[in-house]
Amino acid sequence: MAPNMRQGISPFLEPGPRTKANSLAILQLSRDNFLPVHLQHATGEHDGYAEGVVVNTRFGSFPHSTMIGVPWGSQIRASKVDTGSRGRKRKRVPGDDAARDENENENGNESAEPTDTPSGPKQAIAASSGFVHVLPPTPEIWTTSLPHRTQVVYTPDYSYILHRIRARPGAVIIEAGAGSGSFSHASARAVYNGYPKEGERKGKVISFEYHEERYKKMKEELSQHGLQGIVHLTHRDVYKGGFLINDGESPEAEAVFLDLPAPWDALPALSRQRPEGAEGATESGKPWVSPLNPKKNAYICTFSPCIEQVTKTVSAMRRLGWVDIDMVEIANRKLHTARDRVGLNLPQDRGVNNSARDVEEAISKLAEIEEKFRQHARPARSAENTGSKHGDNGKAVSNRKGAREEETSTSSRPWADGRLIVRGEPEIKTHTSYLVFAILPREWSEEDEAEALAKYPLGQEKAVVGDMDKASRKKLRQELLKKQGDKKTKRKEKAEKLDEKMDETSG
Amino acid sequence: MALVVRPNTWVALKLPSGISRVIQIAPNTTISLGKYGSFPANLIIGRPYHLTFELQDKLEGEDFSRLRIVPTTELYAEIFADEISPGCSTPTAGANEAAAHTTADAEDYTLIDAETGNVVARSNLATAIDETARQTLTQDEIEELKRDGTNAGKDVIAKLLLSHTALDQKTSFSLAKYKLMKTKKYIRRFQVLPMDVANFGNWQLEERDSSRILDMRAEMIGLVGCWGNAHYGGEDVFLDDPCASTEQGQEACAAVQEDLLRGRWLVVDDTCGMLVAALAERMGVLNPEYSDSDAEDNAPAAAAAETTTEESNAATAKATPASTEPQTNTQQQQQTDTEMADAQEDDGLPPTNPHNKPRPSDFAIPYSQTNTITVVHAASQPNLSFLNYWGFDHTAPNHPPHPLLSHLLTLSWLQLLQPSLDTSYATPPLVATPLELAGWKPSRRGNFHRKRRRFARTRHVVDTARAGNFSGLVCASTMDPISILKHSLPLLAGGAPIAVYSPTVEPLAALADCFSVPRRTAWTSGQVAEIVGKTGEELERWAGSEDFPLNPTLLLGVSIQTSRARRWQVLPGRTHPLMTERGGAEGYVFTAWRAKPAEGRVEAKGKFKRRKTEPSAVAGAAEGDAEEVKETAEG
Repeated sequence: MAPNMRQGISPFLEPGPRTKANSLAILQLSRDNFLPVHLQHATGEHDGYAEGVVVNTRFGSFPHSTMIGVPWGSQIRASKVDTGSRGRKRKRVPGDDAARDENENENGNESAEPTDTPSGPKQAIAASSGFVHVLPPTPEIWTTSLPHRTQVVYTPDYSYILHRIRARPGAVIIEAGAGSGSFSHASARAVYNGYPKEGERKGKVISFEYHEERYKKMKEELSQHGLQGIVHLTHRDVYKGGFLINDGESPEAEAVFLDLPAPWDALPALSRQRPEGAEGATESGKPWVSPLNPKKNAYICTFSPCIEQVTKTVSAMRRLGWVDIDMVEIANRKLHTARDRVGLNLPQDRGVNNSARDVEEAISKLAEIEEKFRQHARPARSAENTGSKHGDNGKAVSNRKGAREEETSTSSRPWADGRLIVRGEPEIKTHTSYLVFAILPREWSEEDEAEALAKYPLGQEKAVVGDMDKASRKKLRQELLKKQGDKKTKRKEKAEKLDEKMDETSG
Repeated sequence: MALVVRPNTWVALKLPSGISRVIQIAPNTTISLGKYGSFPANLIIGRPYHLTFELQDKLEGEDFSRLRIVPTTELYAEIFADEISPGCSTPTAGANEAAAHTTADAEDYTLIDAETGNVVARSNLATAIDETARQTLTQDEIEELKRDGTNAGKDVIAKLLLSHTALDQKTSFSLAKYKLMKTKKYIRRFQVLPMDVANFGNWQLEERDSSRILDMRAEMIGLVGCWGNAHYGGEDVFLDDPCASTEQGQEACAAVQEDLLRGRWLVVDDTCGMLVAALAERMGVLNPEYSDSDAEDNAPAAAAAETTTEESNAATAKATPASTEPQTNTQQQQQTDTEMADAQEDDGLPPTNPHNKPRPSDFAIPYSQTNTITVVHAASQPNLSFLNYWGFDHTAPNHPPHPLLSHLLTLSWLQLLQPSLDTSYATPPLVATPLELAGWKPSRRGNFHRKRRRFARTRHVVDTARAGNFSGLVCASTMDPISILKHSLPLLAGGAPIAVYSPTVEPLAALADCFSVPRRTAWTSGQVAEIVGKTGEELERWAGSEDFPLNPTLLLGVSIQTSRARRWQVLPGRTHPLMTERGGAEGYVFTAWRAKPAEGRVEAKGKFKRRKTEPSAVAGAAEGDAEEVKETAEG
């Protein structure tokens, strides 16, 4: 099921205008319910479906054939798919609703075993059970729909991290603890500046994962998503093995993201020079190689859930010469908008609060009740006297009731009723992890300094920058503006003269 | 980003007080840091960023301070001393309860002289804190110390501490605070930070006018960039030069080739260009490319190129050196009046310049077809003044090479929506025979070419924008987002992401309400009389009615979010969130994807037995909403 995507560009990076076969697409079932699907051409009957590969959801069945070659974002109608007569469990009459009920338990888990039946796929017929939208994959959607293997780095965190560690096109990023791959996808998009040709240096994510199962899954995912050219995945324990790739070669990284339980154990390997007490590399007698780009400053972010980890990490960073150490945590909130409908006269709908809208409404309701109560009590005391009056009142009340009914029936704009409110989601993530940022400046030797000094020699200073108080600065600026104004008028005059001359000559 | 500080780039000098001085580093100037002293700019040009420099005492016979790079062991000396102090074991020693008992010890904070390693002062918790403690040095004495102060201000600080009568009675916390306060005031150190979008945003937000960037914090820049899916949009593709002769009019313009247009983002920016800078950075077109190897060799050439444009600016920059902001006003003025002169010099030359490549024709399109940012602006000119910090001046007529030149397209809303009313779009280009041209004055000839070039460019920018199929929409605008989306939604490709930033939530809530469940339900179930019988094409360009300002089926996954980074102080035994942070506008981001609704009636009865089959089916409000749509859509 893992087709070789080497020739194609990942749908994450350039999805193109339309959906393609053998490529990833995301089905949006409902607002926050996404289903990643690898679209496949139907060559015939597949897994018992006459229409080829079919995705079953609770909104109906969707043969892949209806979703290939359509513009991204398209709304796809469900198709009438015979899910009942596939010979599993019990045989049912085709098209029987009950049969579909039974089989929809497996929604989404379309097992993919290509069958060799030569007959072409059946044409899909639209059904009324529902629809989905087919979206191009982005790291954001992928993060919400990916199969969880570990704790996921969510968009609010990774968007901030990538901004702070300066992940830009062309950068090389080390990522340790690939985990579920959400950060890998996001950073691959950030550093992407084309697929590297032979020997070419392009933006790259150097990813490490020590867990073998996760590594294999991740490897498969990367190839399915066409990202092998961007993400270089290695199966290694970075505490012991360090960050070099291809047997001792430096990736020359300029940004690092560590999602590890003990970042301080991995930090010594991210030094400029051989750290004290580093063995590993010395055994082979080879010189110690830094995984960092020697000409660039290195930005780092570590991602740890506990404060104790942070203290240790920060302490280790200080000892290893990292500067501008900064620790933050991100609090993200999603907000929902709704129409808050409060009022006594509103229909008894879902989400409607049938209590008084304001004091006036409360008073009129109370007065109404009082009135009713009085009328109810009165006939007992003096039925004869007030007989006629009672009748009037009764009419009035019923009139008002009628009016109320009218009111409710006329409000045919449920979307515009009530006050627009913004409310947080029912459950918020109050803590994901602490983010520690730091920078390791490039090394600057005496020779470098001497070279720079020779290139930019001292002693020719002409002006002073930043040494003026506000008043004199303002004065200078005004003078300058004035001078410019003079220049401008002079130039205008000159231009006019020229024009005149020209007119004369032409005329 | 440049590997080292390049001449004439903008940098931020971070001072001990936490204030940043943002200046353009001109070679052969002296940079003054006010009370911290001054030093020659050439001492930081060609040096890496993020190093901490210390102003040294003036050598004999020199009238300037030389700089010393402060090693990190010195920067962190006090923290290290803290970690080693009794009762507090270092993490490197493998202890588990780091820094937990610091305050329990009687003597727990020491002040170490970084160079000698001697203990300058110790705190003592056993004795009470004396609030009336006094500094025995008089102000005059302090001034004197400062004047002939040596050792980068460290002597002043040490003397101040030693002259404090109650220093030994301070707790570790108050001693640390006191030391920090004095250090901030007197130590003569600074750090050179690169002017990238992150640093620029912080500086503008914290120290300058945050309203000019709509209070857009780093979290928001990150969110908008990611949800807008802004990234490198493919290798540059240029249209062939139509090689139009001067006799040919608009028919000779290169036609828009829609299949070449890829990786284009539509942007509405009221943050004076910061949003454009952030997106350009993500797309790799903000900073000129410097490859590792030839970076050093290129430096003088690049500097030379810069100085040519800087020529006009240099006058302002040098004359008003203290100003920390690019002189947009004066610069613009200058440029508009130099424009004529430039045009004359440039275009007055015969078209075959011997030592240059053949000049492209007037109708050659300088813009890439891929990886571009299209900015739609409300005024007749876009306000992108902050791009000056990255060496790009949108108003400069003869700009030195910059990646934004071929990747940033700007047009006004009028040009986008009613181009026929726009003069520069609708006026056909001038034509002239070579013979006529030869007879003209150079200035007239220059104007002729300039107008033709402008026509071709405007034509291209407007036509490609109107062709639509943008890969995403990113907004940070003071305009009503509903009106922005009304006109920009039809221009987006299917599945394209939308990210709209607003400092306040109300405009975004109103926008999200346009896509509310009841609206969508009413729309799809045929309750809306106005849309009956309209085609999908017509509905995509829905002009809006009172009840339905936008076609509610055009967006998917509408959502509003906000993010805030809470900063912490991490010190041994003193780790806690910062006590105060910036308030003001919170900042919100609206996100969604562009949908292509199916034509005709879509039925959706769905099937909802609440079973535990769907792992992601958390019975939340969102889920409920979505279900409702599908349920009610059947009507």
